[in-house]
Amino acid sequence: MTLFHFGNCFSLAYFPYFIAYKCSGLSEYNAFWRCVQAGATYLFVQLCKMLFLATFFPTWEGGVGVYDFVGEFMKATVDMADLLGLHLVMSRNAGKGEYKIMVAAMGWATAELIMSRCIPLWVGARGIEFDWKYIQMSFDSNISLVHYIAMAAVVWMFTRYDLPKSFRLPVTILLGLCVYKGFLMELFVHVFLLGSWTALLVKAVLTGAISLCSLFLFVTLVHSN
Amino acid sequence: MFEEASEVLENMLKWSLPLSLVLFLVLLRAEAAHEFSVYRMQQYDLQGQTYGSRNAILNTEARTVEAEVLSRRCVMMRLADFSYEKYQKALQQSAGAVVIILPQNMSTMPQDIVQQFMELEPELLATETIVPVYFALEDEELLSIYTQTQISSSSQGSSSAAEVLLHTATANGFQMVTSGAQSKAVSDWAITSLEGRLTGAGEDLPTIVLVAHYDSFGVAPWLSYGADSNGSGVAILLELARLFSRLYSYKRSHAGRYNLLFFLSGGGKFNYQGTKRWLEDNLDHTDSSLLQDNVAFVLCLDTLGNSDNLYLHVSKPPKEGSPQHILLKELETVVAHQHPELKFSMVHKKINLADDTLAWEHERFGIRRLPAFTLSHLESHRSPARHSIMDKRSVSSSLEGAGEATAGPHVDLTKLSRNTKVIAETLARVIYNLTEKGVSGDLEIFTEQMQVQEDQLASLLDWLTAQPRAAQLLDKDSSIVHTLEYYLNHYLKDVKRHLVRADKRDPEFVFYDQLKQTMNAYRVKPAIFDLLLAFCIASYLGVLYLAIQNFGLLYSFLRRVTSPRVKQH
Repeated sequence: MTLFHFGNCFSLAYFPYFIAYKCSGLSEYNAFWRCVQAGATYLFVQLCKMLFLATFFPTWEGGVGVYDFVGEFMKATVDMADLLGLHLVMSRNAGKGEYKIMVAAMGWATAELIMSRCIPLWVGARGIEFDWKYIQMSFDSNISLVHYIAMAAVVWMFTRYDLPKSFRLPVTILLGLCVYKGFLMELFVHVFLLGSWTALLVKAVLTGAISLCSLFLFVTLVHSN
Repeated sequence: MFEEASEVLENMLKWSLPLSLVLFLVLLRAEAAHEFSVYRMQQYDLQGQTYGSRNAILNTEARTVEAEVLSRRCVMMRLADFSYEKYQKALQQSAGAVVIILPQNMSTMPQDIVQQFMELEPELLATETIVPVYFALEDEELLSIYTQTQISSSSQGSSSAAEVLLHTATANGFQMVTSGAQSKAVSDWAITSLEGRLTGAGEDLPTIVLVAHYDSFGVAPWLSYGADSNGSGVAILLELARLFSRLYSYKRSHAGRYNLLFFLSGGGKFNYQGTKRWLEDNLDHTDSSLLQDNVAFVLCLDTLGNSDNLYLHVSKPPKEGSPQHILLKELETVVAHQHPELKFSMVHKKINLADDTLAWEHERFGIRRLPAFTLSHLESHRSPARHSIMDKRSVSSSLEGAGEATAGPHVDLTKLSRNTKVIAETLARVIYNLTEKGVSGDLEIFTEQMQVQEDQLASLLDWLTAQPRAAQLLDKDSSIVHTLEYYLNHYLKDVKRHLVRADKRDPEFVFYDQLKQTMNAYRVKPAIFDLLLAFCIASYLGVLYLAIQNFGLLYSFLRRVTSPRVKQH
């Protein structure tokens, strides 16, 4: 029944994307090709990041249990390139704000899903050995979808020329949180020695908080004019 | 959406399809929860009679003995809980396999469990079974696998439906899979024996033959180290070779008036195959050999590494005046004068040709009418210490220090060297005819430069027990045979190898392979679990769909929250 298990994990990971695509009305705008373009931009940005990291960052030579805070922080800073990539995608798409955000986020998140989750699930979930981490991986992809939507919204808001002065600060803070979310998660896990399910829960709560704040700001911005 | 999708995919996949195919076709093996070596029980045919477990492959779920249904499952047992009834129960229910978990350090086991297991070993082998029986050494992970399996096995059929449901979600089952093929007979296996000699001074001298078999036996070939039986015999033989080669080449004593023939026989535990063929070749097929001329007597050394008893086993009581009788008398003299703590006696047992196997090695010589004895500290050839995997080099000294009886047969170095000295002194007295010349029984020959070296014995024993010496594992290219040959070459002349191969049409012995395999334990969940999980995921997706459909509600709620503020500006 291990193929069945693979089917379980696959549906848990992919169906929310499918549902989001259908229900957000993107299909009416023939947005599929644009999503694919966003995905291609994702690949390009990841490649550049990898090359940059490999060239400029030394390998960590410390002990096994010690966590290299500074090194990991620097590596997370490189993730700013993600923001640039999202901005690039959104600027090339003409249309309403929501359309741009959704297209960019869907394409980006789907590309990440295919690239980073497909093969581990295929290889691991189909084997004889059972491990909870595949279900956790699928849940994690759901959380990533919400995270990327929030991130795209924040980037869009940041680049608006009509952004009120009072919003600058919260938007910047949210932007920083988005970029360093991975780093913060690892920090939590390391310091508090969280179990895998607890870490997933914390990640979900954090993402939920970020996305609620960004949604709040977005609504205020859009409907204040 | 699908029309667009197909357009896009057509373009993209034209050149990436081969790549993705390759990627998906690479089936990597998932990592196992635990991988460990397992050693299979003996499987051999001797003189047409089959012994041991027949099968080798395994791919079944694990259970412990407490479970009700054992058929086609792998039954795991620990040595501490092992009993013959449980083993029989597993076999009767046609279990898929049996895995017996042995502790890493035998000395932690209480003595009665070790004794009980030693007595059970021949019974395990006697019942020929198609169930593969494996032995594994315990480590932390294996122990945790065992305890988890035990908990789930004993709770089957005793709880309510809700508990069972919860149980399926949280508990782990284990699937045991061995790598390797079905066992088959090894063709053309060669058992090697080694001989070497020391020639005496003069012509037409009688010969004394010293024999020890160098292989070991136990319920699992890879775990039989055979320290006492017969590592002690081999160590004594090699030490005697060293001492007498010195004595024979020493300028002041001349070579004695006997030829000395040393023989290390292989296949000893399988009814002395090496000796049997050697005798046939030397007596029937060659024109002249030391064995055909005047043989004074043959002394076989078997299990001499412990205890204060010494038995000389004979098949015919020696006649007065014969060289055998002289040996007997000299032994009694040496023991009485030099080692009074040793209890020596002669045991007379007639050769019974109707038995499946011969009792001691001297009986092979006795059948060919050569006068022979076996010297051993064991009183009976049926003693379990002669074929046990518990026969290790030594047990931990903490138990010995506490004065408790140590578990299992092992070698006591001081007693081994004392026995070596007794044999050496006796042989020297026989060879140089010291009693007739009136030399007192108190005179010790092997002292100072010529003394028995305990370190030599210790290092020999350590080397012999460092690897298993079952006959199925030592072919003619094995390192043990090479090292023994090298050692004999150092001290003796005319060192020759002698090979025994089983007859093609009517083989006396047949060995089987696949004696050591790697077993993987995979964590698995029961099938109900997958269905349960699918149900949960379906309900989660349903909730998600509803949430996204009604996202507009959240949006308008937030709008209403923010708009009053805007109106106030």
